[in-house]
Amino acid sequence: MNKLFMRKTLRDFRASWAQSVALMFIVALGIAAYVALVGSYRDLKSSYDRTYETLHFADATFAVAEAPLAVADELRALAGVTAVTPRLIRDTGYELPDGEPIRARLIGLPQTTQPDVNQLVIAEGQFFSDGATPTSLVEAHFADIYGIQPGDAVTPIINGDSVPLRVAGIGISPEYLIVSPSQQDMFPSARTFAVLWLPLTTVQILTGSNADVVNEFTVLLDETAVADTVIRQIQEILQPYELETTILQTDQPSNALLQQDVAGYKELANMMPAIILLVAAISVYVLLGRMVRAQQPQVGLMKALGYGTSDVLRHYLLFALVIGLVGLVLGVCGGIPLARWVTSTYAQELSIPFVQTQFYPDLVMQSVLISLALCLLAGYGPARSAARLAPAEAMRIDPAVALVNGRQNFLERMLPLPLEMRLPLRNVLRMRRRSLTTGLGIVFAFILVLMVWAMFDSMSIFMDQNFEKVERWDVTAVFDKPQNNATLELVRSWDGVIAAEPIIQLPVTLLTGDEREDVLLTAVQPDQQMHALQLPEGDTATAVLGDNQIVLSQALAEELGLHAGDEITVDTPFGKQAFTVSSTTKELVSTAVYVSIDDALALSPFPMAIFNGLYLQVEPSAVSRIKADLYHLPGTASVARKTDLYNDLLEMLNLFYTFMGVMFLFALGMAFALLFNATTVNVLERQRELATMRSIGTSNWQIAAQITAENVVLWLLCLVPGLLLGYAVALQLGDAFSSELFSLDITIAPTSYVITSLGILLTMLLAAWPAIRRVNRLNLAEATKVLV
Amino acid sequence: MNNPLILCRDLTRQYKMGAVTVHALRGLNLEIATGEFIVLLGPSGSGKTTTLNLVGGLDRPTGGAVLVGGEDITRYNEKQLTRYRREQVGFVFQFFNLIPTLTASENVEFALKLNGSNGRSAASRALELLDIVGLRERANHFPAELSGGEQQRVSIARALANHPALLLCDEPTGNLDVKTGHQVLQAIRDLNREEGTTVILVTHNTAIAPMADRIVRLSDGQIDSITVQDEPELVAELAW
Repeated sequence: MNKLFMRKTLRDFRASWAQSVALMFIVALGIAAYVALVGSYRDLKSSYDRTYETLHFADATFAVAEAPLAVADELRALAGVTAVTPRLIRDTGYELPDGEPIRARLIGLPQTTQPDVNQLVIAEGQFFSDGATPTSLVEAHFADIYGIQPGDAVTPIINGDSVPLRVAGIGISPEYLIVSPSQQDMFPSARTFAVLWLPLTTVQILTGSNADVVNEFTVLLDETAVADTVIRQIQEILQPYELETTILQTDQPSNALLQQDVAGYKELANMMPAIILLVAAISVYVLLGRMVRAQQPQVGLMKALGYGTSDVLRHYLLFALVIGLVGLVLGVCGGIPLARWVTSTYAQELSIPFVQTQFYPDLVMQSVLISLALCLLAGYGPARSAARLAPAEAMRIDPAVALVNGRQNFLERMLPLPLEMRLPLRNVLRMRRRSLTTGLGIVFAFILVLMVWAMFDSMSIFMDQNFEKVERWDVTAVFDKPQNNATLELVRSWDGVIAAEPIIQLPVTLLTGDEREDVLLTAVQPDQQMHALQLPEGDTATAVLGDNQIVLSQALAEELGLHAGDEITVDTPFGKQAFTVSSTTKELVSTAVYVSIDDALALSPFPMAIFNGLYLQVEPSAVSRIKADLYHLPGTASVARKTDLYNDLLEMLNLFYTFMGVMFLFALGMAFALLFNATTVNVLERQRELATMRSIGTSNWQIAAQITAENVVLWLLCLVPGLLLGYAVALQLGDAFSSELFSLDITIAPTSYVITSLGILLTMLLAAWPAIRRVNRLNLAEATKVLV
Repeated sequence: MNNPLILCRDLTRQYKMGAVTVHALRGLNLEIATGEFIVLLGPSGSGKTTTLNLVGGLDRPTGGAVLVGGEDITRYNEKQLTRYRREQVGFVFQFFNLIPTLTASENVEFALKLNGSNGRSAASRALELLDIVGLRERANHFPAELSGGEQQRVSIARALANHPALLLCDEPTGNLDVKTGHQVLQAIRDLNREEGTTVILVTHNTAIAPMADRIVRLSDGQIDSITVQDEPELVAELAW
């Protein structure tokens, strides 16, 4: 490369340093987003995998009514079984310091050393210690929420009594990275579910169980074993002990939620950087193109002096390459620590004990390829077209002649606007290439900002909608034994209960064609008021429930391709039953289906009206008392307050908000760089024109007003396409984020549209300011003579 | 000269070009009377354009003063200079410098509106001015649809929009062929004679000089000689 060309490249940078820096910034943001999000996704996945592997997370968990401890040896003897831990699980209550009862699970472990399966990380304190007072390990999320430390006392309610246990340590378990009691609980419940690990004998003594009796086996399988075969063998061995459930690792509640979360993250981690990179690519192409085109007379001169097309091309490719390289270095240097920060924030939130952050050379290599290809392609097109021009033609470029052609169009003749308004309008409408490229930058800014804002809004609107409009109950109770009308009447008679409605909730499988879908069936009275089905206009709950009709969540109906009138089979623990799809309901939980309570009862083997859940509306002052009373009913499995569920979910969404917060910063940064570059180039390309205006007596503020008016016109023209495209991209993101369990309906608040639009306008006006100042400080004598 | 319109006193202008200081003007003294037609003649670097820029308020001198109608414009602030250029000066540039998105009449109207003319009167005055330079029928054409000479005549019409006391022309024929150049010079000459507008025309083309009342030859930032012509040549007689 000619040294002079190198020097010229450096001086070109110096001459247009602000635009060059903005271009480097755009490339850097695109690369940083790519490295940070894809990297943190990989880090998170490897952190989970490492945690599961290190702590021997169970491949399958088998629950039985009761079995002798020695059965574990039988299971261990099976080929393909690596380890077995027999446990005694007792779901019970727990009394919070303010006296309010919540759910608790006591997990009896057979030894005073770490179990072979589902080992614990002792975050504080120590494993069970011997001593006169029974000791317990407390699950880390619960301990964190209520400030429990080793040496404190925890108080499970066992057989109606509050039993104090000394806390030996705080444990992190692979089973409870997201605290979820069962597959039926769609939401995490760290604040309303206490998990306590105790020595097996302690649980046996406290709950009055027989010695050497357990009710659950957690099993680790050999990687080479055929899982289905081994599981079948285990089930056969456990059948005599009333095998109740077999939960595979994929269905384990915490893991299932985690996988959903990771899957959603994966989609976003791939899609968002892709969008940002695409925007960066097009922006660099357009803006670099404009910078090169502005140097067309110089290209003509170079060629006139005898430099060849390839020399000229090399010079401008070097310019593009430098932008790409600097953007790459900045992006990678920013992206790697950002990936680590996202991973550690996420890991800390979920108490993931083994966090693994890595350097991914392949990501860096991909970034190198992306950024360089991006900039070289962007530089090549305009440099090539400039270099192909005949020297005389290239040197003769005069914006006054080259950019505007044609007569006044019909619209201009029809709209006799005053000159002050006609000029900005003309500058936008007649300088089509310039306006199109600037408009593209503005539309991209809209897309970037709106897509992230849409995710914030949708989540917030959907949460509010779900917890205010859909779920109208205050307290819900779930029973592990069926209840009859006597319980319902008793609860309705309590002081402070405004209304109580029975429900039946069952895990069932929907069968349609070759497809099977595990869902949670909720049977309600058609005229119930506590869970407002979000039906399409014209449908009413009383019309779509009953007579073997089933209402599916909208997301589920879409996934299975079902419509009103389709037949579907529901496989329940009591047998199969055909239902007709009557309608769909917009729900936060995708796996929800609804039938009438009469239809559900027809399936059950019980001769009387029964239910296994209650929705209650209660007086605010009576919530705690009613919660406690519900716990004391025989057969109560859990009692939850809506506000607790809401708060638990919000806590889980912290991760989502962290991620989106990072994305928002990226979007804002890039939007600003885009707008800055587009508006600055716009003004600087017209230095001679603006200098002439000043020479003939236009004041500085009139110049500023005219540029501002042009920006407002451009903004107005981009408003509708920007908002529409922003919404369309947000819809794609919403689809990507929605999972089998949750569906996110993209809704953007009107205020967000307004704030985004005004924010972009304000940014445009501010971004143009440095260029306006520069024009207003121009040496008029020089500027009026410069051709381009 | 009694009460000259323009009085340049000890005018100096230096430019810093890196480590080098370029002396564009070295103490120029010049008086120009109202209604005079002056041609500033000289080779490249002689200081003629610098003189024009200083008189037009496009640049500030390093030393000395420019008095226009008795007021020292070198003491003006930016706002005052803008007003001066708007109300007293008309510029004709070598590269025409029309606003590409405005038609011929709108380019003239644009200047008229700077001095507060309202829409209708500005439009009709713009047509009158275009008529003066012989372009009324091209009023609704954009610069890109006009020839170089037509563009330059539009720029003359624009320069005259606000009845400037002073018309400053920097190589107005530099980009034009001979025939078009004649048309432009004739338009300028007519304005000078009919409207009494003082004209300073900068050129390096000695063939143009005989049309002036006075020819001021510059060399190395100073006045080399001044030739007074009692009977300037007609534009039609000029040949180059």
